Amino acid sequence: MIGLILRSMTKSNLIYLGVAVILLILPFILTGRSVQFMITQIFIFAIFAMSYDLLLGYTGIISFGHAMFFGIGAYTTAIFMDRFDASIFALLVAILVAVLFAAVVSFIVGILTLRLKSHFYAMLTLAFAGLFLVAAEKWRSLTKGNDGFTFKIPEFLRDSTTLYIVSLVCLVLIFFGLRRLTNSPFGRVLVAIRENENRTESLGFKVLHYKVLVSVVSGVVASFAGVLYMLSLRFVNTSVFHTDVTIDVLLMTIIGGVGTLVGPILGAALIELAHHWISGLADVHWIFERWIILYGTVYILVVIFFPLGLVGTIRSKLSGRSKKQHTTKKAS
Amino acid sequence: MDLIVSLTVNGLATGMLIFLLAAGLTLIFGLMSVLNFAHGGLFIWGAYAGVSIYAVTDSFLLAIILAIITGLVLGLITERLIIRPVYGNHIQQILITLGFMLVLQELIKVVFGPDQKAVYPPAWLEGSFQMGDVILIKYRLFIIAIGFLLFLIIFLILKKTRIGLIVRAGVMNREMVQTLGINIRFVFMAVFMVGAALAALSGVLHAPYSGVIYAEMGLEFSILAFIVVVIGGMGSFTGSLLAAILVGLAQAYMAYYVPALSLAVNMLIMTVVLIFRPQGLFKVKG
Repeated sequence: MIGLILRSMTKSNLIYLGVAVILLILPFILTGRSVQFMITQIFIFAIFAMSYDLLLGYTGIISFGHAMFFGIGAYTTAIFMDRFDASIFALLVAILVAVLFAAVVSFIVGILTLRLKSHFYAMLTLAFAGLFLVAAEKWRSLTKGNDGFTFKIPEFLRDSTTLYIVSLVCLVLIFFGLRRLTNSPFGRVLVAIRENENRTESLGFKVLHYKVLVSVVSGVVASFAGVLYMLSLRFVNTSVFHTDVTIDVLLMTIIGGVGTLVGPILGAALIELAHHWISGLADVHWIFERWIILYGTVYILVVIFFPLGLVGTIRSKLSGRSKKQHTTKKAS
Repeated sequence: MDLIVSLTVNGLATGMLIFLLAAGLTLIFGLMSVLNFAHGGLFIWGAYAGVSIYAVTDSFLLAIILAIITGLVLGLITERLIIRPVYGNHIQQILITLGFMLVLQELIKVVFGPDQKAVYPPAWLEGSFQMGDVILIKYRLFIIAIGFLLFLIIFLILKKTRIGLIVRAGVMNREMVQTLGINIRFVFMAVFMVGAALAALSGVLHAPYSGVIYAEMGLEFSILAFIVVVIGGMGSFTGSLLAAILVGLAQAYMAYYVPALSLAVNMLIMTVVLIFRPQGLFKVKG
């Protein structure tokens, strides 16, 4: 057992654990509620972005409706907390329902479109997310429409430090879980699908099964991020279903680096901080109210010039250098 | 009877507007297998450009002309700056066109202001004809007429002219056309510009029809166009007309009889098509 743990303690794992420990101590130093709230948000969006990376980075599937799963998690939690008493039991049931609901929706969308070209999944998820947004706006008796509603959550989660630690623990667990998944034979097949779908199919793998399964996993994780988001916000409205949410998570994944899992976490931190900073600038000049232009432009530039993102670019530089050293050594 | 007629006219008019948007999408996809998620942005720019000149000059004809020019120019810019750099990479194309869509949508708010704008049909298209107890609103008939006219023109160009021949051949086999010494990139640029102009035209025609325009309209409408392209078969021009009419009619009838399901009905049609005929109702041979 100990041997197993020691063996899994590679250098990078040690670094990640070290960062996690620092982050665990952090809330006892930074005791301000708003600071803790912001870092909690970063954790939550990091989970959300990792779920997106599983699709885009590892399997090469583009979803334009990932907000849908986030929103499913958010609304399920909010409605359960509102309708039933704010107990731990109700919360657990809510999480279960949120996860199942997201699994069913992602399964249906996946089975319909993943056997076709990648455009179809992108279009259908966009359309489905639109449908969920309209439903949330129109089904007023359940969702209270665009105005949204506030609700109570279990007593012990109301403390910002507790929620911070809960979110951090979830982030770490999901990070290592997804890393395990992507390093497993299953994850290797996903990467093979991304690189060459036809060849993977000819090797005898049922590509559709893998793609549907990964889209379900991604939907479930995204939905869980939505649950956590609700715990931190204690207020829900239709904005969780907006395209902006999908764009945010896309940007986090792409800027951080697709197919790295660490990248999306970094990306989430960057984008959340940028949000914070830019909304502060709105008083300075009105153009900052239209921050999506800025985002869209950055996004287009990143797609053209840094398709690997931050982490990916750094990694390829590093490995390029070590390769060069290797060859020079050989030459000498 | 009068109810059925007016619902059908409604549906046909909506269908025609979606068709104008979907026609460009489907041709661009067929020719270069680029799915242009920024198409809704061109639609909304056409609407705003046309409406603002319409408000100044009070000439709807001028509005239509300006919208078409806006579409052509934006189409050129999109093709050159956005799609060409990532030519051949599907994932990057899909990602980048959505990014551009957002930039176009937000730029609308910067240039024309974030509020909704009310638009009325021009005087010569206002009012309605009455035949017995059937009331036909002039503007809707006008949209239907323009839609069918454009369909016929493009259809004839595609079928009867040399340019059309090249485009159709390009849809079937791009490499082969290129081997025959035709500059397929140039053809693609032209098709992209025409597609963008159709989208912009759809936008400006839609403005007096819905009576109000706003920046998010582009994305909402382009979702309908995507649904149409999927139902009609990606790359099929005739398919997009028939699918657009189907979607328009379904939406009009549903909006009257079961309003809660008017958006869901299109998704339902698309879902059924995807299950039983994933290549679309009219697959392009090739």
